Amino acid sequence: MVQDTRLIELKGVCKNFGDTQVLRDVDLYIRKCEFITLLGPSGCGKTTLLRIIGGFEMPSSGEVLFEGSDLTVIPPYKRRINTVFQKYALFNHLNVYDNIAFGLNLKTPEQLGVKTKAEKKKEIERRVKRMLRLVKMDGYEKRSTDALSGGQQQRIAIARALVNEPEVLLLDEPLGALDLKLRKEMQLELKAMQQQLGITFIYVTHDQEEALTMSDTIAVMNGGRIQQIGDPKRIYDEPKNAFVADFIGESNILSGTMLQDELVEFSGTEFQCVDEGFGTNAPVDVVIRPEDIMIVGEDVGMLTGTVQSVIFKGVHYEMMIKGESDGTLWKVHSTTMQPVGTRVGMTIVPYNIHIMRKATTADAVPVSDSGKEEA
Amino acid sequence: MKRSWYASPYALWMLLFAVVPLLFVCWYAFTTPDGAFTLANFQEFTKPRYMGVILRSLKLALYCTALCLLIGYPTAYFLAGRGFNHAQSLVVLILLPMWMNLLLRTYAMMTLLDDNGVLNAALTALGLGKVRVIGTEGAVLMGLVYNYLPFMVLPIYTVLKKMDYSVIEAAEDLGCNPLRVITRVVIPMSVPGIVSGVTMVFMPAVTSFAISTLLSNGKIRLAGDLIDYIFNQSSNPNRWNIGSSFSLIMLVLILLSIGFLRKVDPDNEGGGMW
Amino acid sequence: MVKTISAETRRAPADRATARFARWSANRANRLKTVRTIWMALLMLFLYAPILIMIALSFNASVSRSQWTGFTLDWYVKLFNDPAILGALKTTIEVAVVATIISTIIGTLGAIGIHAMNSGMAGMLINVSYLPMTTPDIVTGVSLMLMYLFCHVPLGKWTMIFAHIAFDIPYVLFSVMPKLRQMNPNLYEAALDLGCKPIKALWKVIIPEITPGIFTGALLAFTMSLDDFVISYFTSSDMYPNLSRIVYSSTKLGVKPTMYALSTLMFTTILILLVLVNKRTKLENL
Repeated sequence: MVQDTRLIELKGVCKNFGDTQVLRDVDLYIRKCEFITLLGPSGCGKTTLLRIIGGFEMPSSGEVLFEGSDLTVIPPYKRRINTVFQKYALFNHLNVYDNIAFGLNLKTPEQLGVKTKAEKKKEIERRVKRMLRLVKMDGYEKRSTDALSGGQQQRIAIARALVNEPEVLLLDEPLGALDLKLRKEMQLELKAMQQQLGITFIYVTHDQEEALTMSDTIAVMNGGRIQQIGDPKRIYDEPKNAFVADFIGESNILSGTMLQDELVEFSGTEFQCVDEGFGTNAPVDVVIRPEDIMIVGEDVGMLTGTVQSVIFKGVHYEMMIKGESDGTLWKVHSTTMQPVGTRVGMTIVPYNIHIMRKATTADAVPVSDSGKEEA
Repeated sequence: MKRSWYASPYALWMLLFAVVPLLFVCWYAFTTPDGAFTLANFQEFTKPRYMGVILRSLKLALYCTALCLLIGYPTAYFLAGRGFNHAQSLVVLILLPMWMNLLLRTYAMMTLLDDNGVLNAALTALGLGKVRVIGTEGAVLMGLVYNYLPFMVLPIYTVLKKMDYSVIEAAEDLGCNPLRVITRVVIPMSVPGIVSGVTMVFMPAVTSFAISTLLSNGKIRLAGDLIDYIFNQSSNPNRWNIGSSFSLIMLVLILLSIGFLRKVDPDNEGGGMW
Repeated sequence: MVKTISAETRRAPADRATARFARWSANRANRLKTVRTIWMALLMLFLYAPILIMIALSFNASVSRSQWTGFTLDWYVKLFNDPAILGALKTTIEVAVVATIISTIIGTLGAIGIHAMNSGMAGMLINVSYLPMTTPDIVTGVSLMLMYLFCHVPLGKWTMIFAHIAFDIPYVLFSVMPKLRQMNPNLYEAALDLGCKPIKALWKVIIPEITPGIFTGALLAFTMSLDDFVISYFTSSDMYPNLSRIVYSSTKLGVKPTMYALSTLMFTTILILLVLVNKRTKLENL
């Protein structure tokens, strides 16, 4: 399980490509055995951050420490870190076995804990075989990498990295090219592998569901900054700003006013809530998840509205309901369907209303829906 | 009229002017001047004076290929490298001579290397004294390399350019230092381009015509010049037959090497012209 | 106090190593750049020095190849007063123009026809085009010569033109084929559907779509025709020499500056044509 030791530490890391600032003053620490996900839309800097840890980019300024000592001066081939690349980057001049053995072949017999070259060969074979079993690809040794499916290539790429027994495995959107069903399977397998091997995984993705499923910790990134970091439940339940709320899951985000502690006004209505310390009459953003809005009879709700559209989403119905007080369009998830045109009431319990300070910096404002994956 | 019929003039022309002439070569190669079947034409080449030319052609073509690879690989590697701003215009500059008249290029080389040429003038000016270059195998070799170098650079460059950069990063990631990245990943992965380049240089070098005649004052003859020489031996009644048999050997050699190339590089990753 | 000092001294070498490494890796990148620049400069010198020297000598006042004695255009004037050279120039251009026109027509029609065929037949016909491209020039030349001589056709201008057409056609075919493949296959059918007769549909729909490819092909064919030496050498006679042949026979008589002038002009023409081709399609993709 996640240990308290800080394995990797980034302090004030910035990265510029020409005039564009890709990373702005990133502080982050990664603990031993942690499964941490860097989550954000494309262009948010998550891949650059990963590449700095992998050694493929130098930070423009700031420090990267590995167990307390400077990592940036160590070239990638000397780091105890291995990477699973986005498009696998398998060597197509080598077969599956030689791909996985690639890193081990570069080591001396002593580094593998044996004495002679013959023993090294045996040791490599033992380790490669074990890896193939781990990724469920035994029997594929002699295959050419071109003859493998995307999912199989992915497994080989993972085995090729893990066989070197790195302390940290970096994964750059490794499941992006797979179909949905395969992706779900691999998510569970990756998580199981990480727990079995007890090493740190740093995982980059733009898929919020993937992040929520696998991670111990999620760092949500946007505009080159980490917007929020925490465990999945906390990120989901208590988004720190409108960007995070919008990016993680689906939500209704509204402007409102914090009238006083535990009392907020939005949509022309006053609501009880559980947040304090915003002062009086402070402008705030209010987040309400679609599944937290309960549909009740039209006369007993806190708000009333008319159903505009209904889509069946499998487990629930997604309804767009137009509020009567100010015309807000509410996204509501419910297991019972209301026909279009029905007038309904809506209620929200106090602890499902999340209050956030209005974003002050430009890049914390929700940008666009690009990169946001529909569940 | 069906659209495929539009191809008939094409088919006819290629048949008459590309396929049939080669059949004539085959016919003459296996017959005597009277039209009787014979294999004697091929035996001509075991005669020492012909054999010497063939061996010399093979030797010089081999040296030429090796030199082109030695010069061409780093060139292609640099051109395909990341962060090289002038690469695109340099590629064009290096490939341009490929399309330029071989005779003119060799003529230019001749001017440079001639006994009274620019090279010797420069050497004299430096007080080093003259060197005899024209007429040596060195001059012929230089002419061959000069003419065929672009054919080596192009396919290797094409392969390297297409290579996914993340493969190089993967090699570093797995423990390759910069030298090992080149020996273990870059070179093995560019083998199709190397094979393509080697064939594209070796074959025309073996059959080269005029280059050696010009750069050796006619003293050194290579296989291509030999064919020309045989066809011009007006006193020899067998000249067409012997010349044809030799041309046929050349053609078979080329086709074999193309077959070999297709086998090594079935998807034509080397981007060769063949 | 003591502790602080010792802590600093322990850190110092590490810092120095860090700085050394940073310097080393920056130097490595710079060294690579220097090596690359020198390498490319030497290569360019090797490839272009002979040509540039030849061009310079074509403007040299004296016959000497080792001394610059002043600028002159005399050699060019002589060139254009030499009836043999002017005759060869006429032959060369005539051959190139006629061969380009015929090969462009045959090649374009061939590409359209092949495009409409099933893949087996098409593959075979395309492979025929690889034949003149793969056969060594000298074998192509000799084979055509044998055929002409066997049929008692005297070698001359037309035998050369026919040979040129044969090696030009593949260049046209390979320039037009990709354009046909890029074309929306429904275009032609749509034209027929709207009432066009097949021939008219070809003119109105297909030809306009592939015109860039036809033009590139024609340009390439023209260049190759001007550029050819070996095949022309075997399929023509001294009675109807083209420019390459003139250059070749003159080398046996020692070097003449008029030949430098001629070569310079040919080089420049071909260079301009190639630059034009390269603008239309990358040379490296041909």
